Amino acid sequence: MRSLEPAIKTIWTIKFASLLGSMFLAALLYEVYVYFSRASFALPPGVLTGAFLIVGVAITFSVPRLSYKYWRFDLRQEELYLERGILNRVRTIVPLRRIQHLDVSQNILEREFNLSKLIVHTAGSRSSDVVLPGLRFEEAEQLRDDVKRYILEDAV
Amino acid sequence: MRVDQQFDEAQMLHPMTLVQRFLLSLPAFVLLLIPIFRSADSASVVPVVAVIVYGVLALPLIALRYYRFRYRITRKEIVIQSGVLNRQNRSIPIERIQNIEIEQSLLPRIFGTAKVKIETAGSSKTEGVLEFVGIETAHEIREIVRTYQQSREAAATPVNSVASQDTGLTDQPIAPAPARQQDATANTPVFSLPLSRVLMVGVMRFSLLYIAIAFSLIEQMLPNPDELEVWLRRGWLKPLTEYGTDSPWQLTAVIIFSAVLLSWLSGILVSFNRYYGFKLWLESDKMHKRHGLLTLSQGTIPLRRVQAMILRANMLMRRFKWITLEVQTMGLEATGRGHQVVAPLARLPVAMGLANHIGPVTLPEHFTPVSRLTIRRTIVRFTVALLVTVLPTAYFWQPALWGLLALPAIPFYAFQHYKNHGYALQEDTLYVRRGVFRHFIWMIPVSKFQVLYGESSIFQRRLGLETVYIDTAGAGGLALPEIIDVPTEEATALIEACYNRFQQAFATP
Repeated sequence: MRSLEPAIKTIWTIKFASLLGSMFLAALLYEVYVYFSRASFALPPGVLTGAFLIVGVAITFSVPRLSYKYWRFDLRQEELYLERGILNRVRTIVPLRRIQHLDVSQNILEREFNLSKLIVHTAGSRSSDVVLPGLRFEEAEQLRDDVKRYILEDAV
Repeated sequence: MRVDQQFDEAQMLHPMTLVQRFLLSLPAFVLLLIPIFRSADSASVVPVVAVIVYGVLALPLIALRYYRFRYRITRKEIVIQSGVLNRQNRSIPIERIQNIEIEQSLLPRIFGTAKVKIETAGSSKTEGVLEFVGIETAHEIREIVRTYQQSREAAATPVNSVASQDTGLTDQPIAPAPARQQDATANTPVFSLPLSRVLMVGVMRFSLLYIAIAFSLIEQMLPNPDELEVWLRRGWLKPLTEYGTDSPWQLTAVIIFSAVLLSWLSGILVSFNRYYGFKLWLESDKMHKRHGLLTLSQGTIPLRRVQAMILRANMLMRRFKWITLEVQTMGLEATGRGHQVVAPLARLPVAMGLANHIGPVTLPEHFTPVSRLTIRRTIVRFTVALLVTVLPTAYFWQPALWGLLALPAIPFYAFQHYKNHGYALQEDTLYVRRGVFRHFIWMIPVSKFQVLYGESSIFQRRLGLETVYIDTAGAGGLALPEIIDVPTEEATALIEACYNRFQQAFATP
């Protein structure tokens, strides 16, 4: 069983920070507007913004760490095994022979950290693609090639 | 085979792609320009800025997307590299490819190019799109993939004919049914509904949908106020209004009763129209069915595409010991996917007999129940859900409080849920039983499993419970064969057992 690359925590933190940061800014602007226009608002000034700030900071710092802590995966002989989830913990067995096609993908942020995602697509109906994030690029390609070798040679 | 080797190297799209993409993006460009055309004065700064931004961002993006895009076809796979900011590297194994479609709409036809769509089983979306390649190249690609597929199949056959098609979608029938050969020759249906039974289907189907429709119909039929006034003045409605003011409860009951009756009758009509003359034939590896009064529908279900079999019955059907058999299929076309009724109304042995034509199944005598704690969890979940919806609504609209009357029904529901929930792994089939108002039994051959899941929410973990779900292709709808609240060790063992059986199904003897 292996963990993801620790750098994924930074990526997740940046993602959460930008998302929650923009929500915080929206709340702040709204409150400033309300304050100066003297419109009536149910909450005393600062409460909404404060709540956004506290919750935002808490989420930004805790969720990536926890998520990283519970992420485990293992490419075994005939299956890909994944374990993840903070509140809702999920373990998944993807039989390699069920994999239809594979993606290695990298967004601009991941490229900065030389990380990438391996996405395996099955014909299943719940979520036909299983995503394994936080792999070094070379490692993702290696994993993909291993899976491919199984599909292409073992199965025939 | 000079052409093949050419595709071993990374290929770019047809250069005309750039022009076509540019042309295709023009409508958006024109849309941005419209304000300028409308107001002749040069005051409109915004559109001008938009146009500049468009030029600075969109045009280079078109070019970059073109220059980043590479595809490569080898004996084993098609590799597609794409994306500017979000880079993606996709590998599609040759033998997983089900279909290659060449599409040529107007613009590509002018430029002598085509769009190539590479499709594998599974999701409804296209897995690989080459947009655009030259028309000759498109045909070459299709030819090459076909050749590769054939040569791989030919290479595979002497070794093991089954393993080469083991995606679970294209593989062999679950097991050769012994009686099939005789059925193929005899042209008599294996299952049909006589007229009385067709009526019975409608009688037994008691759908809430029809009740809703009936209520809206009643509302439609209520006379408008003007007419009502005339009626009232003439005294025609007098007995009714007196009756209504004297005993409003009785009137309500009458209205509800007539709605239910109306829905029941319309349900009978709908079913009659749909299942009139229902006949089912079996032919070597296919099932044919034909039914319908006004619209005759004919369907073919290839047996090897069947992913699971489902028995279901509502309360009324259970009372009279009727059952419906459905199969879950996975086709290449979207229409072939999902659930198809094989027997609208049958006795259990007949339904199981039909199911056995598709795969060897025997209904287990004993289903392993889930943990009793599920009763408690269901009660808590439903109570919380009810309170969360009713109380805030009641804040604005007092009568919503009546919803709380449902509270005493929750424990009863929870117990029924527990009582009918269970699973059994028997031979090569997983059986899952579930449902309160409508009972379902899924029969899933192990060889059709796709992905295995074990899930536990934070509440389940506190009680040492887990939900087991085995995904199949084409599953869907409101009810899924999830096994909820299995004790953790049992769940682990179940997943392991299922996976072992799955592996065994594909082990070469």
